[in-house]
Amino acid sequence: MAEREKQERARRSDAPASPRSELCARPSALEQYRVLLMKDLRQELRTKEMLVSMGIYALLVIVVFGVALSFARPGADFLEVSGGLLWALVVFTSLLGLNRSFSHETENGCLEGLLLAPLDRGVVFLAKATSNLAFLAIVEVIAVPLYWVFFSSFAAPAASAPLIVVPLLLGSVGIAGIGTLLSTITASTRGKDVMLALLFVPVVFPLLYACVSATTAALAGGVLMEEAFATSLALAAGYDVVMLLASWVLYDFVVS
Amino acid sequence: MAPEGKSPRLPEAGQWPDRVAPAALVAGIVLTTVGFLMAFLWVPPVGGASVGGAELIGDAMVSQKLLLSQKIFYFHMPVAITSFIALVFGAWYSLRFLRTREARYDTCARIALEITLLFIALTMITGEMWTRFEWGVWWSWEPRLTTYLVLMLVVIAYFVLRGSVDEPERRAAFSAVVAIIAFIDAPICFMVTRLIPSSIHPVVLREGGMSPEMGLCVAVVAAGMLCVAFALYRARFRQVRLAQRVEALKEELGD
Repeated sequence: MAEREKQERARRSDAPASPRSELCARPSALEQYRVLLMKDLRQELRTKEMLVSMGIYALLVIVVFGVALSFARPGADFLEVSGGLLWALVVFTSLLGLNRSFSHETENGCLEGLLLAPLDRGVVFLAKATSNLAFLAIVEVIAVPLYWVFFSSFAAPAASAPLIVVPLLLGSVGIAGIGTLLSTITASTRGKDVMLALLFVPVVFPLLYACVSATTAALAGGVLMEEAFATSLALAAGYDVVMLLASWVLYDFVVS
Repeated sequence: MAPEGKSPRLPEAGQWPDRVAPAALVAGIVLTTVGFLMAFLWVPPVGGASVGGAELIGDAMVSQKLLLSQKIFYFHMPVAITSFIALVFGAWYSLRFLRTREARYDTCARIALEITLLFIALTMITGEMWTRFEWGVWWSWEPRLTTYLVLMLVVIAYFVLRGSVDEPERRAAFSAVVAIIAFIDAPICFMVTRLIPSSIHPVVLREGGMSPEMGLCVAVVAAGMLCVAFALYRARFRQVRLAQRVEALKEELGD
């Protein structure tokens, strides 16, 4: 959290140095991207609406897991389930966040304003996906240790457990990418919350499968780690590349 | 000549493929029937075993049931192939819609996806029957089953999405994007569920390879199913286009 703020402060401080004085010159794509991203981050930092709701929601999901597992016998078997549970937590929390991320764009007609500005749609997509990724990452940084605190009594994870950071990162990138496209689509439909879940869960299924496999491998260690970890990560990365490219290209058609 | 100015904007219907469609339907019916007869009368049971008419007890009874339940394969696989080909067409028309923005391609894509959903449903039903008899369970998370489940869910979501957007222009763009995503997602899903070496989930392994007779039978039924799908597509397309044309004409007369 603090690191991000530091980065943000660094960005703010060098913002005046950028060539804003030339009013006629069109800002570069990088500049546009930065302005859009900062807009989202600043809005979130002032309202803290999304982070708070996502964080509390994640905690509530953990509580529900606690109830669901209250009659399970603690043992090494739990490690094979825990990766999947962790991803269920991530998926539900990210669904909430994605739903929110476009609701305040549509509420006050912000999206129209954004689209009236002479911006490249690809830049809009990248900025939105990055801010979604940032929020998801912050929530994960809070939720994963919480998950560990509540469930580490069931079974001690293998030595390779810190490696779950890699599938978490790959998964979050993919979720933010395809989720941004889908939440833009569903933002202007009737019953948008349900609609997003309907589209998001099946589309993200392959990524989820690969990430659950990698996470479980890292947590359980041993033979599973050698067999499944690298393949799963490669597949998750492949999904990320393909889906991000597709979303980036298709985004133009969704917002125009 | 004067009213010609407006007529190009009317949705047109009844091009040459409509005349082929009834013939395709008949061909489809004949081919699938021939395939059905072939599957039961001509293709030998898998593994060279023979189904004796004698009533056998216990173990042998079960194997007899298995040998016959395998026959559904000759419908299951062609139906699955057809559904995927329909999805390819749906994605192709969606792409063309996004390029040209012509409402005609939106209708094409929508109907192609309707056909896809129909054949996916048939695939799931035949697949379930087979799963039940061959593996003794109603469901297993096997790569092909999983892929089809996910594909079915995306196609259902496609239609729910269509139902929840009112503006035709926007609805067409959104659904075209979702159709393309579905088309990209399905192969990835298959690859992911297939390639991850999994001691987490039991993967049901089956040896591939069909005998020439089996291959021929599958090809005949697949050709028949494709003809049926084509005829259905044209019939539905004609119906929808004519309805749109009537609407357009009504509006024109109302002016």
